[in-house]
Amino acid sequence: MTNPHENPAALAELQDAIYREKVVRARAMTPDQRFAAVFELTNSVFERMHEGAMWRLKTTDPQAGWAEVRRQLERLIKAQEAGYYTTTKPTPP
Amino acid sequence: MTVEDLAKLVITACEAESLDYMMTGAFAFGYYGIPRSTKDVDLVVSMDVSDALTRIISRLAPDVEFGSLVQFDTLTWGRRHIGRARANPPLQVELFELFDDPFVRQQFVRKRQLFSSQLGKTMWLPTPEDVVVQKLRWGRNKDLDDARDVLAVQGPDTLDMPYIGNWCALHGTTGRLQAALAAISKM
Repeated sequence: MTNPHENPAALAELQDAIYREKVVRARAMTPDQRFAAVFELTNSVFERMHEGAMWRLKTTDPQAGWAEVRRQLERLIKAQEAGYYTTTKPTPP
Repeated sequence: MTVEDLAKLVITACEAESLDYMMTGAFAFGYYGIPRSTKDVDLVVSMDVSDALTRIISRLAPDVEFGSLVQFDTLTWGRRHIGRARANPPLQVELFELFDDPFVRQQFVRKRQLFSSQLGKTMWLPTPEDVVVQKLRWGRNKDLDDARDVLAVQGPDTLDMPYIGNWCALHGTTGRLQAALAAISKM
């Protein structure tokens, strides 16, 4: 099997296959299961972010870990929302 | 605090203040599309009851700290109130005021009451058609992916495509809709 990263057409085919698999999996779930999965994924991601922050800070203090997660999220939100929100509504001329 | 705890707190506060609401963002998308994690609980709230939003914010105050500044989205100039959970994890609550935009109004009127076993209660969500229209209107990369995913999971044959098409024509997003449909044509 060739390395798909050296062949754009093969890479696109692989990406399509991965996407199809995600859609098929979501279709196999009930709406309630998909809704529940949002909660489960969110809780799990926060746990992993917390563990990662503690590992990077080389700390055993959970509060220090959460403070770092909070800082990272604030930066992420600022970057993601730049230009989409403002605190001043323009006044008509 | 889990994200379920936070969502239940916000929904219960709306119910206690008799404030009409609907969940949006990742929860509405996850119900109809491909579930993903989120960092916030987003709700659109009706402004029909005087002071209801202020009362919701003060009811949530022990658990959620709201900033004093209101934000405006730069697409529709809708108003957003942001709160951060006082407990960890640092989840966010975003309350979007229902405002006088024809699509936003219609989306809110068409909302559906559904039961969530994860929350152990009913809650209100937009229809899948309205999630698609809203995402295409926003038009950020992740919104376009979300619109495509809802179309892919639900299947255009199960959705009211003329309704979606009409709003996209009004919003000037027909090209985005066509691109999303083309992307799932092989599904």
